[in-house]
Amino acid sequence: MTELQAEQAAVVPRIESQSQRSRYRDVLIALAAFAVLAILPMLTGSKALLDFVIRCSAFGLFATSLNLLVGFTGMVSFGHGMFFGLGAYGFGLIMQRSGLPVPVAFVATLVITTLIAAVIGAICVRLKEIYFAFVTLAFQMLIHSTILSWVSLTGGDQGLRGGIPRPAFFGVDLSNHVHLYITSCALLVIGLLLMRQIAQSPFGYTLRMIRDNATRASFIGIDVWRAKLTIFVLAALFASTGGIIMALFVSGAYPEFAYWTISGEGIFINMLGGVTTFLGPMVGTVLLLILNDTVTRLTEYYGIVLGIVILFFAIGLRKGLMDFVVEWYARRRDGSGE
Amino acid sequence: MLEIRSLSKSFGGVKATDNVTLDFADGSLTAVIGPNGAGKSTFFNLITGALKPDSGQILLNGVDMAGRSPPDIVRHGIGRAFQVASIFPSLTVQETMLAAVCADQRRASVLHRRFPLAETRDRAEHAMELLGLASKRNRTAATLSHGDQKLLDIALALVLDPKVLLLDEPTAGMGTEERWRMIDKVRELWETQKITVVFIEHDMDIVFKIAPEIVVLCYGRILATGTPDAIRRNEAVIEAYLGTEHHAGAAV
Amino acid sequence: MLPLDLDALTGCLASSACLVTQTTSGFIIGMLLFLVAVGLTLIFGVLKVVNFSHGAFYMFGAYFAMTAYQVTGSFALAMLCGAAGTALLGLIFERVFMSRVYGSDVLMQLLVCYAFVLIFDDVVRMIWGPEFKSMGMPAAFQVAPLFIAGGVVPPYYLLLIGVALVAAVILGLGLARTRIGKVIRAAAHNPGMVSALGINTGLIYGGVFALGGMLAGLAGALAAPVRSLTPGMGFSVLIESFIVTVIGGMGSILGALIGAILIGMIRSFGSLGFPLFTEGLMYLFMVIVLVSRPTGLFGKEVA
Repeated sequence: MTELQAEQAAVVPRIESQSQRSRYRDVLIALAAFAVLAILPMLTGSKALLDFVIRCSAFGLFATSLNLLVGFTGMVSFGHGMFFGLGAYGFGLIMQRSGLPVPVAFVATLVITTLIAAVIGAICVRLKEIYFAFVTLAFQMLIHSTILSWVSLTGGDQGLRGGIPRPAFFGVDLSNHVHLYITSCALLVIGLLLMRQIAQSPFGYTLRMIRDNATRASFIGIDVWRAKLTIFVLAALFASTGGIIMALFVSGAYPEFAYWTISGEGIFINMLGGVTTFLGPMVGTVLLLILNDTVTRLTEYYGIVLGIVILFFAIGLRKGLMDFVVEWYARRRDGSGE
Repeated sequence: MLEIRSLSKSFGGVKATDNVTLDFADGSLTAVIGPNGAGKSTFFNLITGALKPDSGQILLNGVDMAGRSPPDIVRHGIGRAFQVASIFPSLTVQETMLAAVCADQRRASVLHRRFPLAETRDRAEHAMELLGLASKRNRTAATLSHGDQKLLDIALALVLDPKVLLLDEPTAGMGTEERWRMIDKVRELWETQKITVVFIEHDMDIVFKIAPEIVVLCYGRILATGTPDAIRRNEAVIEAYLGTEHHAGAAV
Repeated sequence: MLPLDLDALTGCLASSACLVTQTTSGFIIGMLLFLVAVGLTLIFGVLKVVNFSHGAFYMFGAYFAMTAYQVTGSFALAMLCGAAGTALLGLIFERVFMSRVYGSDVLMQLLVCYAFVLIFDDVVRMIWGPEFKSMGMPAAFQVAPLFIAGGVVPPYYLLLIGVALVAAVILGLGLARTRIGKVIRAAAHNPGMVSALGINTGLIYGGVFALGGMLAGLAGALAAPVRSLTPGMGFSVLIESFIVTVIGGMGSILGALIGAILIGMIRSFGSLGFPLFTEGLMYLFMVIVLVSRPTGLFGKEVA
């Protein structure tokens, strides 16, 4: 009895300090990760490696934001890639046509994304499960078709050509490869930190409740529709940021950025890395890009190799890599504890 | 407290709730009984907003709840637990409680702070103690026993400090001994928390022993209301529903 | 904003010749889509699996038919090979791979399908090469086109529409009248009950995949003389038949037929009025249907 009371007394203050500490810990990890990424250009002259990290930033932000929907809220979106494309095209068009400074164009792109995501989301989040997947896919393809047919604005199937102007701001010159690299890393780290905050906030737990049992969530007073719409828009913002990085990287935007395969790859990255851990999608991104780069170099039959790898995960492991690692670690820890 | 006025709902011509008028007094404990398909669950679904009534009023302290959404009704103070324990399988008991209090304090969409919030802990703690779940706080809901999941479901309703608590078959799927433990718990909660409790129950022994008030539903209509003694003597009830069970109940 | 050519569209609607030509072309698009979509919808209805690799059966059907035609010179044999080969492929695919992921997450099922889309495309590339191939029109159909109300209709188109319609009727009757058809419909309705009745569900599931594969293969074989063959040709067909099933209602055969004809007409007439936005029209239509009736035009309402 006294033991129980003592335990409970200890639990109460622990709650508060724990949540504070977890935040500091995340910020420290983020700073350390950024520091490591930032000194990388001094250690290596490899442009290919830096390019790889920039692509990881773009797809990592995209895939992690998709996991806020898929893994945390249980909303399997097959059209999340539309916001990746929207970010790339929105940013590219603003820079090409208006000559605004980069940070202003960045913010303007996010504002546009918010508006479009709010409208599309308001229509989509009403639908459940597979029908939500269908309708998001349909919207993705609608946007893709619009990009293809609105030639005067988007350049149609040729994409936004002629390069995106990248005027320097605050001493940052994005046409300089190292500057672009550092900026991408900063956006990645800040984006991940913000998404981590969302996942660990009270709202993040509201999302988990909706994923587990949306009916029950509404019976404890949660407005499920509003919560789903909110995370739909928030996730769109990070996907859009990924698209902006991609547009800066290739200095253009192409219809493939808005094609459904981007969404498919996002889902695949999530499954590869695992959806139950926050960093699973990031791990999945790195894995897929390495796989992409090495396999395309080694064989022309890329599809067969990638297909077999996917089968290994889907039929063999039946879960993503990080999920597998976490479970294995938990089993080992429990085993040695006895 | 809770007044139901001419509440009706039909599904394609079948009247699941037919012109029901009922009063639940402040601090009362009422059992709702009736044969399968009597419309008991529909009745609960109408009060909690899971279904929209065709007509009628649901007055909670004079405010009409009819046609409002479930979250809205919950915030006005009508909590409910489900026949099949409705919980969040991947959250731990403690997380479930803390998140529910968060929702009740209108902090479910707070983004800038970390979960759990300090101001939610006392109420969460209190609810876990009340239901005897404190020692299982770190278990995920999916790993709890059937009985504990039912308790967690009730805790989820109770932690929101409802004025009215609706329990849909709290003893469903339990063995005899477990049933009595559960129903003692319900009675204890009713006595200590001073709230209005309405529960659906199939076990007549339980109903007649612990419920001061009984409502008998049959084909969506109210057949009878009153104390256990009055219900036991009611000819219509004996006719339509109790039958041989009546004698078994009377013998106890 | 969007390139729009309403003059061409209204001009066509006013001319009977153009109307006949466009309607026929809408019908052949629609009937081919129907054959693919009906398998998709059956597989979903019975197994609750969205078979994303269904387009591969269409592709294999076309390649099998081409090879069989080149070897034997018989058109009928080519059709038979296309259909039978893909039926076998569907059976193997279901028994060896898909049956392993029924219990798990929907995403895992989609991933397995996605893996096979990649693998099948590469297998075709390995066997038949990456370049465009053509089966060529069989000699029997190299005759002068028919003129119906001034519109040009190649005889092969009529055969294609006819074969697809016959397949639709046989399928519809088979499901409604035969024992196996009733079991399949029962399985779609209530999978638990069928296994409770002592019917081998594995056999049913494999059979449904074989049937779906066969119909898609038949579509590919029928399309082989009039379309060019390329690895990845299954994909656009898959996306379109996917739209068809969503519009018609997942699991509904009548819905697949109506949806396929609707999409065929949208493609055919849309290409006149909205030359670059034809695909966009289909997706727009899909969005409108999904938003107003999430379960599709002929889908069962979810209670």
